[in-house]
Amino acid sequence: MTHAYRPGKASLRSGIALSAVLLALTAPTGALAQDTQTPTAQTQTPAETAPAPLAAGETHGTRAAAEAAAHLAAGGEDEPVVLQAPAPDARRVYVNDPAHFAAITQQYIVDGNTARVVGMVDAGFLPNPVVASDGSFFGHVSSVWSRIARGERTDYVEVFDPVTHEPTADIELPNTPRFLVGTYPWMSALTPNNKTLLFYQFSPTPAVGVVDLAGKRFDRMIEVPDCYHIFPSSDQTFYMHCRDGSLLKVTRGEGGEPQTQNTEVFHREDEYLINHPAYSPKNGRLVWPTYTGKIFQADLGGENATFREPIEAFTEEEKQAGWAPGGWQQVAYHRDSNRIFLLADQRPQWTHKTPSRFVLVIDAETGQRIARYDLGRNIDSIAVSQDAEPQLYALSTVERTLFIHDAATGEETSSVDQLGHGPQVITTADM
Amino acid sequence: MRTLVSATLCLTLLSAPAFAADSIQVITDGNAAAGGATVEIAKMKFATPEVTVKAGEAVTWTNTEALPHNVHFKTGPGLTEEHEGPMLRSKQTYTVQFNEPGTYEYICTPHPFMKGKVVVE
Ligand SMILES: [Cu+2]
Repeated sequence: MTHAYRPGKASLRSGIALSAVLLALTAPTGALAQDTQTPTAQTQTPAETAPAPLAAGETHGTRAAAEAAAHLAAGGEDEPVVLQAPAPDARRVYVNDPAHFAAITQQYIVDGNTARVVGMVDAGFLPNPVVASDGSFFGHVSSVWSRIARGERTDYVEVFDPVTHEPTADIELPNTPRFLVGTYPWMSALTPNNKTLLFYQFSPTPAVGVVDLAGKRFDRMIEVPDCYHIFPSSDQTFYMHCRDGSLLKVTRGEGGEPQTQNTEVFHREDEYLINHPAYSPKNGRLVWPTYTGKIFQADLGGENATFREPIEAFTEEEKQAGWAPGGWQQVAYHRDSNRIFLLADQRPQWTHKTPSRFVLVIDAETGQRIARYDLGRNIDSIAVSQDAEPQLYALSTVERTLFIHDAATGEETSSVDQLGHGPQVITTADM
Repeated sequence: MRTLVSATLCLTLLSAPAFAADSIQVITDGNAAAGGATVEIAKMKFATPEVTVKAGEAVTWTNTEALPHNVHFKTGPGLTEEHEGPMLRSKQTYTVQFNEPGTYEYICTPHPFMKGKVVVE
């Protein structure tokens, strides 16, 4: 059968056999016809043209079957190869499955254009995924143990090629400094030049680890005050959110002691900011909802952070009727259109992590509500692609399915199912 | 030989809950030396984040709130191994005698933003 997988030696050695199997299973059959007589021909270059859209009633499976039948009828031979993913664009979507705290986890790499899984990579316990802003690589900060879930612990950063999904760097982090927590996207971050990865340490003292991706080495830990999350605003500067309700600006500098400076306190102690704010490194906009749907915004791109007038996502009447944000990644921000997407539903207080059925579209400038989409199902996480006609990604942890919507209308256009055990985190690149 | 060494070490630990060459010593029998200092734990803080005692004196921590806290010494000068005290419930106390001069920094394990230090003269 055309889809049979024959592992090449190289893929076995590097441990990507699983992702290669998946690639082979999901790739268009036509791409498989290639000479594999020489070892160098075991990989496939990305398709130069996008596949034609599916016809009405046609599925990826029926098309692949028809193509395989035609290939067979024409006397074609099967030449199994290790495939490559199409070159990434703004609609490359990374879906991370923390798998309800399983020791081993997976990242599904989805082409939003075709709604197909184009690969996957494995990771350890509660990894923090990152994607380069130009799409040139993706990676994660991860943890493994010598005996699956016990024994000696190793924390490391792994970087992958976005086309071959081969690891290009594996950098060990000394003294197992990772914060093991349900995956918060901004607990690790790349600097705008994609040369440095920053990750958070919670215990024994708050700190931010600096990993030199360009030099493929761990640099150092920066001790910080009692602050959380990491929002890089320049290659040498990042912001954090502190227990006292201020932001902390950290300027790393070349060597020497980092400089820190607190902003004013921008929210009250009884205003609870969620763990999954949206942040656009390209324009420095931080969008941070509370449990009640008050949305704080700060611009971090300038010399100092400037705070915008907070937005109320709901009217008093709506709040009385139980409307509030809820889910995991509850907010997304589209930079070009300056729009906020907020996952919300009617819910009792203290159910802020249960999924929501609706997405509000809000003008980030005026605070005006532009639309309310009824997604028709329970969604835990949302994200948007940053292209001119953005896709709205809506991930259901229970259904283990990524639903792809037109962000302009809310209409569902496609979906990708069977994404692990409990997928929760969507990552895209603002290319 | 190795077994013997381990056994000796265990015996030492059992007879006196000491660590890091006895530079600090947990007092479990209430026989702390006179003097020293007390630290109340309240509102997610060590109320007196810095106390100074003389060598041989003890510090007693008392948790005054429902939220459990502990005293967790980090490694540093005079302390080669970190020592993580038990979680204290409301009104429970924990006493440590300091035998060697130095500065001993500590945190609360689940609340690493709770910090304190004991200066021993
Ligand atoms: Cu505590």
